[in-house]
Amino acid sequence: MTRKKIDLSVDFCGVKFNNPFLLSSSPVSNSAEMVANAFEAGWSGVAFKTLNSDRVRIVHPSPRMNPYHYGSKRLVGLQNVEQISDRPLKDNLLDFLYLKKNYPDRVIISSIMGFSNEEWAYLAKASEDNGADMLELNFSCPHMTVEGSGHKVGQANHLIEKFTETVKRAVSIPVLAKMTPNITDMTEPALYAKQGGADGIAAINTVRGISQIGLDDWTARPKVAGIGAISGTSGPAVKPIGLRFIADLAKCEQLGLPLSGQGGIETWIDALEYLLLGSTTLQVTTGIIHYGYRIVEDLIEGLSDYMAERNIERVADLVGKALPTLQETDKFDLDRQGTAHYDVERCVGCGQCLVVCNDSAGQALEWDAEKRRPRLIEDKCLSCMVCSFVCPVTDLITYKEQPKNWQRQETEVMGKDLEGQLKLEVCK
Amino acid sequence: MNKSASFKSMTKGFGLDQAMAEAERCLLCYDAPCSKGCPAATDPGTFIRKLRLKNITGAIRTIKENNILGGACGVLCPTSRLCEKECCASGIDRPIEIGKIQRALVEHSWARNFQVFETPELRKGKVAVVGSGPAGLSCAAELAREGCRVTILEARPEAGGVIRYGVPSYRFDLDFLARELADLKTLGVEIQCNVSIEGQGGAEKLLQSGYDAVFLATGLWDTLRLKPDSGELKGLISSIEFLASLRDQRFQQVSESLAGKSVAVVGGGSVAMDCAEAAAKLGARDVNLVYRRSFSLMPAEKEERIEVLDAGVHFHLLNQPVDFVSNAEGQIQGLKLVRTRLGEPDASGRRSPEAIPDSSWVLDADLVIEAIGNQARSESPHWYPNVQVDSLKLIQSDPSTGQTSVAGIFAGGDIVRGPALVVEAVQDGKVAARGIVEYLAGKDV
Repeated sequence: MTRKKIDLSVDFCGVKFNNPFLLSSSPVSNSAEMVANAFEAGWSGVAFKTLNSDRVRIVHPSPRMNPYHYGSKRLVGLQNVEQISDRPLKDNLLDFLYLKKNYPDRVIISSIMGFSNEEWAYLAKASEDNGADMLELNFSCPHMTVEGSGHKVGQANHLIEKFTETVKRAVSIPVLAKMTPNITDMTEPALYAKQGGADGIAAINTVRGISQIGLDDWTARPKVAGIGAISGTSGPAVKPIGLRFIADLAKCEQLGLPLSGQGGIETWIDALEYLLLGSTTLQVTTGIIHYGYRIVEDLIEGLSDYMAERNIERVADLVGKALPTLQETDKFDLDRQGTAHYDVERCVGCGQCLVVCNDSAGQALEWDAEKRRPRLIEDKCLSCMVCSFVCPVTDLITYKEQPKNWQRQETEVMGKDLEGQLKLEVCK
Repeated sequence: MNKSASFKSMTKGFGLDQAMAEAERCLLCYDAPCSKGCPAATDPGTFIRKLRLKNITGAIRTIKENNILGGACGVLCPTSRLCEKECCASGIDRPIEIGKIQRALVEHSWARNFQVFETPELRKGKVAVVGSGPAGLSCAAELAREGCRVTILEARPEAGGVIRYGVPSYRFDLDFLARELADLKTLGVEIQCNVSIEGQGGAEKLLQSGYDAVFLATGLWDTLRLKPDSGELKGLISSIEFLASLRDQRFQQVSESLAGKSVAVVGGGSVAMDCAEAAAKLGARDVNLVYRRSFSLMPAEKEERIEVLDAGVHFHLLNQPVDFVSNAEGQIQGLKLVRTRLGEPDASGRRSPEAIPDSSWVLDADLVIEAIGNQARSESPHWYPNVQVDSLKLIQSDPSTGQTSVAGIFAGGDIVRGPALVVEAVQDGKVAARGIVEYLAGKDV
């Protein structure tokens, strides 16, 4: 199949999206000027920066973000204390009208956050009346300071149900509930949202975290006039957490709602993983903060080529495809064991495998100091595969399953001659 | 930047961020081959790992404790045939730029004012180090850290030896040198300049005048001559004199005198490259480098050769100088050359040049710089008459201790090895320091 024939469009809660890629509600979707540029680049929709009703004046802390770097790799994570939109409601709604007029085939999801039933209903109605195609209820902003708002709602199930119900009564467009990951089990609040009438779930919002402590001032970053705070962390560093929550939601049969996945998506591979675990649409912020709207070209092209190579015609055919094999760990077949396998011909001789095997695994490698090559003692190999994680040559070290009757050596006991001194009572 | 300013400053090295990015390419090898490839045991495997784990002060400490001239070596070492040659990352794509990382770390220590050394407590022994080049400095630092009272005696007006007087500033600038020398001061090493041990038995007399041991690191400060008996000619200068003049009060005058001139440099080693490039950078109209073998047989590093070509120097390969051409006033006017072809390999394994009959021609030159090699000063054996020297007047010493044939006198660097690398001289200094400490312990000093 050729890439040209690939149709990336998805149906999500009855709304058509040209592709699964949306801006999430965040600094990258703050105004129509920005969103128009994103639409030009190829994004199919936007969860607009969360509206506020002008009742409370919003002032963003300064500075408001901090990077999490790893070595010289920049922005592996991002911490952000920005609040909901600081713009007047009218300005945001005019921006909706502008976008709807100029980009009628793109989807506007209005993210809203109220502080009372009336306010939720008011914002929902105002959004619907001014062009929003969907709503996203922000139950999850991790750094709102007002009780009864943001993630504090996401942690209070009855409020989720109540506010969702209120919104659903006020509008006829589909409603998403956006969930916080700062809880143990997301399915529970999601079910309350469903109870309130939610049409879909968006997850995850940012993970409460601390990205950095200043070593001179002993203050967490971002430092706002001498004060640090725990706040929302996002980006590739949180992707494993996002994937886990999406999988939890997707596997919850009682829930059965379409999902908008997000959390650390930068590349088409990240996007595909979210699709395979059950997301239908995908939202991005930190990837855009790092690289700009242009990354959508790579998301689209990469996903299309993947689908073309495998004759997969529709994105819907990928959604949830990794779920059947995703089981609890007690489902593992422990009778099937294996080892690492070394293609030593390709070895460059760095010996990192030896270091990690000695210090964190089975001491299963011998070292030819002259030739600088490892040799695997197969029956000592634990098959942890950490050697392959540090090996600089891709696929030099692979996993090999061993036959059924294969036996691993037992771990060396150093104190055999001290048995007389052993103090151990038999467990009854 | 004007010509003189650009001549005097080195190309910018890596910043700390670049060094970190480069360190991230490092495979952090087990039993690091790069560390084995460093003649002075500067231990790049360890300092790169430290940088990678953000132990930046520790990385600097590793460099400087192993190699007091860690900065200089980071700049001057031919790393592509030492540590970087052994680098396992070559198996992936290309070696880690170890020299640049090393230089960046040392420069970073200055930027953040991180002092590796403290002034040690004086415990034992008084040692004279003769010569303040790499071997002398290295030995002095090592001895001082062991608690010895060390005095360096330097015949020239300033310290540094070959890295001050034998290298042009764009390759290694004086500010950089001064900062590395400052560590010697912190270590309590006293450097006395303008002090010569020339004269009958000067070095050995030091043992009778209160020093418990002596380390000789006097270097090679005579230039080999094409025609040793050609006498004084105006416009004929040795590489040693030429390079030294670019580092002292003569700089302005020499620099001005080169403008518009035609210069011929004879030789194919690193020193010849430095002379030729310096002359070109200082505005000589034409710089002609004359070498009797081919491009690939030049002893100079490949990077140096390319750099010199890029500086606009004309290479006259397979040409052997046979005589100087001068006028009645004794002013050089040119160099008489014969063309050569390569014959059978000689003892060094390189094919030796053979003169092609009737092929002589004259290359016009206002100034000829002889850069065909350095040797021991002819009178140097008289400074230490009981110390055994070989036919080239190089001092004989035990490679594992630096001990010479005279008890208490040790030696290292070029005066022992013949022309060698800075990093090798550093190692000689370290080895001799250990030898001296053991010697002093044996004498119960």
